[in-house]
Amino acid sequence: MGSDHFKGKSAVEHVAEAQARGIIAAAEIHGTEIPGSIAAGTDGARETVIVLLLLNLLAMNMGWSYGVTLSIFAIFAFGWLIWKTGRSAWLGWSRLERLHRILEEERWEIEHNRGQEREELKALYAAKGFEGKLLEDVMDVLMADGDRLLKVMIEEELGLTLEVHEHPLQQALGAALGVFIAAILCITGYLAALNIGLFAAAFITILMSSFISAKAQRNELISAIVWNLAIAFISIGMAYFLLDFFHVLGWV
Amino acid sequence: MSETITLARPSNLKPSLIFEEFFGLGQEASVSPFLIPDSRRWAANLTLKASIFAAGLLVLSFTLSFFPLTAPISFLFLILVYFLAGIPALIESIEDLASFDINIDILMTLAAFSSVLIGSSMEGALLLVLFALSGSIEDSVTARAKGSINSLHKLSPTKASVIDESGNLIDRSVKDISIGTIILVRAGEVVPLDGEVIAGISSVNLVHLTGESLPVMKKTGDEVAAGALNTEGSLTLKVIRTSADSTLSRIIQLVTQAQEARPQLQRWFDKFSRAYALTIIGLSAFFALTFSYFLGLPFLGFEGSVYRAVAFLIAASPCALIIALPIAYLSAVSACARQGILLKGGVVLDALAQCKTIAFDKTGTLTTGQLTCAEVKEIGKATLSEPEKDVVAVAYALERNAVHPIARAVTDYAKAKNVESKEVQDFKSIPGYGIEATIEWKGKQAYVFMGHPDYIKDKLTNQENELLQTEVEALQQEGSLIAVLLIDKKLFLFAFQDTLRPQLSDTFDKLRALGKWKLLMLTGDHAASAQRIAELLGLDEYYANLRPENKLDHVTRLSQTEGLVMVGDGINDAPALARATAGICMGKVGSGTAIDAADVVLLHDNLEKLDWLMLKAVQTQAIVKQNLFIAIGAIIIASVPALAGLVPLWLAVVMHEGGTVLVGLNALRLLK
Repeated sequence: MGSDHFKGKSAVEHVAEAQARGIIAAAEIHGTEIPGSIAAGTDGARETVIVLLLLNLLAMNMGWSYGVTLSIFAIFAFGWLIWKTGRSAWLGWSRLERLHRILEEERWEIEHNRGQEREELKALYAAKGFEGKLLEDVMDVLMADGDRLLKVMIEEELGLTLEVHEHPLQQALGAALGVFIAAILCITGYLAALNIGLFAAAFITILMSSFISAKAQRNELISAIVWNLAIAFISIGMAYFLLDFFHVLGWV
Repeated sequence: MSETITLARPSNLKPSLIFEEFFGLGQEASVSPFLIPDSRRWAANLTLKASIFAAGLLVLSFTLSFFPLTAPISFLFLILVYFLAGIPALIESIEDLASFDINIDILMTLAAFSSVLIGSSMEGALLLVLFALSGSIEDSVTARAKGSINSLHKLSPTKASVIDESGNLIDRSVKDISIGTIILVRAGEVVPLDGEVIAGISSVNLVHLTGESLPVMKKTGDEVAAGALNTEGSLTLKVIRTSADSTLSRIIQLVTQAQEARPQLQRWFDKFSRAYALTIIGLSAFFALTFSYFLGLPFLGFEGSVYRAVAFLIAASPCALIIALPIAYLSAVSACARQGILLKGGVVLDALAQCKTIAFDKTGTLTTGQLTCAEVKEIGKATLSEPEKDVVAVAYALERNAVHPIARAVTDYAKAKNVESKEVQDFKSIPGYGIEATIEWKGKQAYVFMGHPDYIKDKLTNQENELLQTEVEALQQEGSLIAVLLIDKKLFLFAFQDTLRPQLSDTFDKLRALGKWKLLMLTGDHAASAQRIAELLGLDEYYANLRPENKLDHVTRLSQTEGLVMVGDGINDAPALARATAGICMGKVGSGTAIDAADVVLLHDNLEKLDWLMLKAVQTQAIVKQNLFIAIGAIIIASVPALAGLVPLWLAVVMHEGGTVLVGLNALRLLK
């Protein structure tokens, strides 16, 4: 089937590639399982905690005073809030742009390459077990209505689902809230009881954000919470002992 | 729709398989349909790999802890050990606690993590690593058990070719096919549903169902079981049972029930561990809370009641029990592996040692399932009227190009007798039924027939038929399979018998000499054939003509009353192998399901090692008992002085681990 549209590939190969493209287009920030404001918020909160804990390690090593440490935390959290909010919004828009472009490409294909689109659709439905006359009948019904065909191609060929994504600004607001709450909790904790307060706030933030995201994604709660806490603990713990080792060596 | 729908022949590839496997194995990542096939191997034995990696890190951490310069790196590795080995245990413990299930896992996790609080994180990490290692081995054994059901599902086709009223073929899911539906089973296909043949003749192979490797002829009116492989012609079947009631489904149910009914030992251990864990945790909490009041100790600090309670908790953690027993079992398991005997877990040895009876399947287990030609007879004559060489030469000429086991037996027999083949013309073969051809006989061309007695029937007079029937029945009573050769109105009978596995007589003599076990045979074969084998091997008892359900009844009764080792190979043995106190399966000839359902696999079908294995099991049980005694002693010796504050924690741990080393060394004796 050596046409330009298929680029020398069979209809099935083409459909598989198109579906992979669809999945990539639908994917979001690395590290979040389901894109959206809840994922952006909970992920933002956890990242903020880790960043502030690492900053605290630096403060301990540099011997910063209580006031200086607090100020650095506040300044860093502010900059981090702007970055995470802006980045979340941009990633949402970027995804929307990709989705719209794919929709436009598909519409163009339907209008200009009807024969090849029919072949793609046929390959899809043949893979679902339709054969012979029945397959031809299904093709005729689907090809008859342009809008329905576009929806079918978007969902079946590209593996995309319509009406599931939030607006990028809504997602960004989620990220902003997550970072803000985590930063306020950690700074308040440090203000109240120095390192102990910071660790307690970090613990509560990770626990709560893991709980919310696990609940939203219907993952195992206990497992999600313990793994997230353990990953945070191991990252800070290993950084701490590495710093200690560098101290022994006299490098810091 | 009145138009004919042309459907392609069903593909051998079953896309549903990946889903069946995925759900059958409890949604394991190693078979996740969402992962690239190549990357699924990352998930294989992940817990075991993580445990081994954690063990390596612990060794590194321990070594580096002796040097002040590398002490921080030692802690860095120690955190990783806690992460890899501790977090899965912690999650499991919290989940158990959430469902109010206090068990030994919680005790171990609590002891390991609380050891950090009193500055003994290295000992805690050791507990976690040992615990993770034993847990991951248990996981892989469980996965194997689940695999048995999965391999059964793999055997059963998910769809069938239905012949509709217009004679068209339509593929339908077996779940949607009702009784009375007509289906077509082509050569090379597995029979999807139990049915009665309404058209066609073919041989079906029941090796996956019964271990019987000899093809069985099926003709109009015969019943064919789902799971049988159609080897030659096409068969048109009328479905007589739905997929839920098919023979294969019933076997799947039996295996599932048998596996669920099995782990008595496990249940006992769970019960014991729950009581032990509750006692130790309760006592630790009691000591922590009351010692400061009763003994006037401070609450915290190295002399405090909490410190002593945690020391008691760690010393009483069943480290020796957990590690010392696996060492004993692993030593015995590796000794068996060197002999070509694969044991699925150490507890199998306990199970073997408990048994007072050993039961054997016949075909494929005591016998090889290969036919040998026992004799050539002429109907109605005491001796052959023609030279045997000439008769065999004709049979050899007909059968030499066939792959049927009877053909192979004829060929072997002819070669052994140095018989030369003859030239064949007008050759015609009816699958599963017989062969006919023109062959030179006594200087002229004769049309000869060879095959099933029914195949020759039409060519004989009534009197000849009666005579044939009588002789065939007499030979069948002796457990022989029969082929009839008709040459120029002369009828010859070829009797074939299953071959007994070599060297078995010696093994049975040794087993009898030890006098510990009753030996019996459970078989689905004819009584006469069973009797012949039982007498040859000197078995104490035998039960013949058993269906899988009957076999399972015997096995259940014997397992419950006196403890039973079941030795088998076919799918029909799988429920019995799973239900028996210990199941032993042939590795080479055994079906995948039987191998999965069994506890022991004889990799090279080396049944002659059975006496060695049984003795090894008895020896292992003795050493395990000694080890239990030492391990419990070590716990008492370490925990009581720690509680009384007579010894510091490090010494309690050393005494505790000393006991572990002692039982380890004792267990290594089993390696021989």
